Amino acid sequence: MAHRRGRAGIGALAKKGETSKFSKKAEEIKTTSLQSAMDTVKKLEVKLTEFAKTHHEAIASDPAFRHKFLSMCAPLGVDPLTTKKSFWSFLKMGDFYHELAVKVAEVCYAYRTRNGGIMSIHEVQKVLMTRGTKFRLNNMTTKYSEDDIIIAIEKLKKLGSGFRTISVGGTRMVVSVPTELDNDHMQVIQLAQDISGGITMDMVEDVTGWNSDRVRRAMDLLLAEGMAWLDRYEGLEFYWFPSVWKETLVS
Amino acid sequence: MPKQFEYPEIFSFAPFFTIQPVLATREKQMGLWRELILSYHTSLKIKTLRVHDCPLWKNKEIGRELNSEAINTIMEDFVESGHGEWEDQTKTRCRILWRKPEQLASDIYDWADTNGFINSVCTVYELHSGEDINGMSFEGADEELLRRALLILEKQGKCTMFKGETSEEDGIKFF
Repeated sequence: MAHRRGRAGIGALAKKGETSKFSKKAEEIKTTSLQSAMDTVKKLEVKLTEFAKTHHEAIASDPAFRHKFLSMCAPLGVDPLTTKKSFWSFLKMGDFYHELAVKVAEVCYAYRTRNGGIMSIHEVQKVLMTRGTKFRLNNMTTKYSEDDIIIAIEKLKKLGSGFRTISVGGTRMVVSVPTELDNDHMQVIQLAQDISGGITMDMVEDVTGWNSDRVRRAMDLLLAEGMAWLDRYEGLEFYWFPSVWKETLVS
Repeated sequence: MPKQFEYPEIFSFAPFFTIQPVLATREKQMGLWRELILSYHTSLKIKTLRVHDCPLWKNKEIGRELNSEAINTIMEDFVESGHGEWEDQTKTRCRILWRKPEQLASDIYDWADTNGFINSVCTVYELHSGEDINGMSFEGADEELLRRALLILEKQGKCTMFKGETSEEDGIKFF
């Protein structure tokens, strides 16, 4: 990081020959601040672990509570998911998210030919619940939320599996194919979501202002990947997205 | 009592009624059509599909229907899969083979083996309506279809057929 402090900065003081005195003090301050920061973090960690021990049942059974807990861990650099040999493993969160990740991957693969490898997190959750998939977290069967699924997908991502989450409008979706979806593609999917139905290339042109080649390029990829299906009706060509359409069905 | 058929979700998806240009998607689509045709006719116990008035070709609720080219594509694919065969040259009626004759043949032979019918005789009637065949895939099967299956077994040397006083009493000896 480059600092420019102007005349009153270290550089200026250096010119005045006061560097050594000042910089020693600066080092002292830095060290003290760092030390006290570390002390604070340590204290917070202790508080966090006490919290985890006291509330481990709630963490296991209540997705909302679990997420509050995880959001407290993050700023402290504590990751209960990956820390294996530490005492965080008593929470068994690593196992839970690992199991969930496997199930999420299974669902995505199963539906891939139908939706081209993109589906909403909500639909994944629905499928898992319909299948009656249960997980044990710290010896309790737990409910799992969309946030849990997103964390599980992050795990998959780290394994380099091509899985990732994207946000289209307000909807969070998981992409399980390595296809590069750029902003143009996302905008088209977004439009399909807004329309809640089939879209035509003309509609895309009208809304985005792109020329027809650009629209075609985006649409062709989505069609080729199986993320969009073609609907010929009364001389017009509509494009529908199974992943988006699923969300419009009554849950 | 004819029971109501529960249409699959895909039946309400407009593009289902357009033959997909992308091959992988089209294959998925054809698979879904085969499933739909088979499960519809099987659950309502309809033995023949009449191409010109099959209710599966349109969904009024979403305002979509297959055009005649699409119907042909789907029917050709269906027959090719082995689950249907044309009753006439003009391809207007298709017999639904909810189990392919080959599958029925092996089901029958397995049953015969399990139930000690090897080297013994049973009648065609017993095969589709007898007491021992509850829950078997060939229970209540079309006699025509059964005979086809038995012919396959004969060719494989796994049985032999002989005439009874009535066609129902025609006998089968399993080897």
